[in-house]
Amino acid sequence: MAEPETDARRLATEARDRVRFEEEVLDLADQVYRVARRLVSSREEAEDLVQETYARAFRSWRSYTPGTNLRAWLMRILTNLNIDRGRREQRSPDMQPMEEGDYFLYNRLEETSGPADEERIVERLSQDSIVDALTAVPHDFRDVIVLVDIGDFSYQEAAQILDVPIGTVMSRLHRGRRILKSQLAEAAVGEES
Amino acid sequence: MTFEPICEKCEELIQPYLDRELDEAERLEAETHLAGCEYCGKRYRFEASLRRYVRQACCSEQMSPELKDKLAALRTALDA
Repeated sequence: MAEPETDARRLATEARDRVRFEEEVLDLADQVYRVARRLVSSREEAEDLVQETYARAFRSWRSYTPGTNLRAWLMRILTNLNIDRGRREQRSPDMQPMEEGDYFLYNRLEETSGPADEERIVERLSQDSIVDALTAVPHDFRDVIVLVDIGDFSYQEAAQILDVPIGTVMSRLHRGRRILKSQLAEAAVGEES
Repeated sequence: MTFEPICEKCEELIQPYLDRELDEAERLEAETHLAGCEYCGKRYRFEASLRRYVRQACCSEQMSPELKDKLAALRTALDA
């Protein structure tokens, strides 16, 4: 006889959990947008991607385990959707010579505009050139840079989000940062001339 | 001066140190090394400032209020 009441209670609990889930997901929207914006090249694409991510997250709320990392769960939806959007048509990551050391950028900045304090020298680059350089980094590498440097995810979280081994995250990060720096070095020369 | 890639320790330690991915013992090793190695100290300051600068440049664009409203409208809990 008590069954309908139990059902009603269960439904009420579920509704409450769902509302809480949706509120928590919405609270993360700014962070999700920041990452999305740097994974794709235009504002419109980022807005579409975030909307698709939220639509899917709200639909699949039952697949989220309360108490686990919600930010990483959302980001996994986002990166999967971004990959599904067929963004894979891109230049090969092997096309760029990666022989320069990590200090190539610093040296180039010094060569083009003279010595400077190592903490201030990056200010010789315009903010636009930073954004352009990041956009020019091939996707596999850029994804990891964006998750770790802009999304503040750990190597382990980035590995889970992208479903790759942690060693792959570390090597892509290392390589990606080098590509970014060589792009910036090119920009530094361009801004000088 | 121009920095030359002379220190192997940098390759091992600086990036994970900046990413806060080292364990306690490795972190101490990195800090001891950074304090004693002029090359790595400079490189560390350069890398740290570059990351701050990239972050600043790439996070300056805020989400539009319209998008926020659209996301909130996608909620389904209240419809059920």
